[in-house]
Amino acid sequence: MKVYTGTGDRGKTSLFSGERIDKSNPRVEAYGDVDELNALIGAILNVLPEGRTTEAEQLEQVLIDLFHVGACLATTSDGQNAAAFTDLPAEKTTWLEKAIDRMDADLPRLTRFVLPMGHPAASACHLARCVCRRAERRVVRVCLETEAQGGDQPYHGIRGYLNRLSDYLFVMARYCNHITGTVERTWGG
Amino acid sequence: MPAPSKAATWSCRLRERRRLTAGTFELRLTRPPGFSYQAGQRIALRTEATERDYTLVSAPADENLAVLVRLIPAGRVTPFLDQAPIGSELLFSGPNGYFCLRPDARPVVMVASGTGIAPFAAMVRAGARPFVLLHGVRTADELYYRAELQPAAKHYVPCLSAKALLPGGAFSGYVTAYLQTRLDPQPCDFYLSGRMEMIRDAMEIIDARFPDARVYTEAFF
Repeated sequence: MKVYTGTGDRGKTSLFSGERIDKSNPRVEAYGDVDELNALIGAILNVLPEGRTTEAEQLEQVLIDLFHVGACLATTSDGQNAAAFTDLPAEKTTWLEKAIDRMDADLPRLTRFVLPMGHPAASACHLARCVCRRAERRVVRVCLETEAQGGDQPYHGIRGYLNRLSDYLFVMARYCNHITGTVERTWGG
Repeated sequence: MPAPSKAATWSCRLRERRRLTAGTFELRLTRPPGFSYQAGQRIALRTEATERDYTLVSAPADENLAVLVRLIPAGRVTPFLDQAPIGSELLFSGPNGYFCLRPDARPVVMVASGTGIAPFAAMVRAGARPFVLLHGVRTADELYYRAELQPAAKHYVPCLSAKALLPGGAFSGYVTAYLQTRLDPQPCDFYLSGRMEMIRDAMEIIDARFPDARVYTEAFF
């Protein structure tokens, strides 16, 4: 199958639900950020410390979840195909919380702002965390615009998931420094 | 609309090969128990060399499966499908794809080039109504399934690119020329199926003339 189609050369793209929209549309910005985030999750996997099977499996699940998120964002609720990609269930957020708690139990107590640096995996996690926050902001904008147009705010599950995923990535960054014996530097300390 | 799922592998047997033109044929395949799909979805037929996607032209409720094949003499799959003995076992995975018709109040315009008619044949056999169908081919003998599609369509427009005697009701030119000059601008749902060049050119016209349209595409290679 060819990668290029040429149907987007004039600045428009097709949503999965069929609408033709400008590539600057907030919805495209939102799923573009999720795409960027997903690529960074893949990069974390490449630099994760050796032998971290549990964390690697978690990140692979996040890759799959974010693909679903991207497809949801490319599908309007009143458009066709909406039934194929429904919002993430709340259990996905709970799953992240449990993963956060497991790692956090091994970490020194957080008393200061930590600098986003350290082991290569920790740096990659911090970078992904920033993109995750941006993706979340863009999803919120899509939700607010949907509401302003008279619809219900969509993506409750996705918003919760992205919010918790950035927490997960923050804790994962600290965890990667901790298990590799990398000094965690703090702001002002 | 089918939910995304991991495609399973299925085994079937070749039941019948029906020649439609010198270069195209329809294969009828036994339907493996438990295999279900929606009109417009594809299967990936496997050979020892590789696998290729084929949209099912059979309706989901049909006893057998059917695919439309354009022979590519230098290809790695279609010569095998052209010559495989009746009764041969074939493996396929699927169903795949999201090119399915959804109930909607907006007019449906199906646009096909060549064997890109396949998903529309399945949709119409599954009861899709009403719809406008543009089928672009070189000559009238390539208007596959015309006998079934024409009576079911609100408007069925064969678009013939070869300079030849036109059958009644046919348009002389590409489907894109028909979209550009004949179809009234209105909010509608376009389903484009066929060669990527057709899809790209049709999309440009739709963007310009039908700004509120929804567009779904399935590229055939």
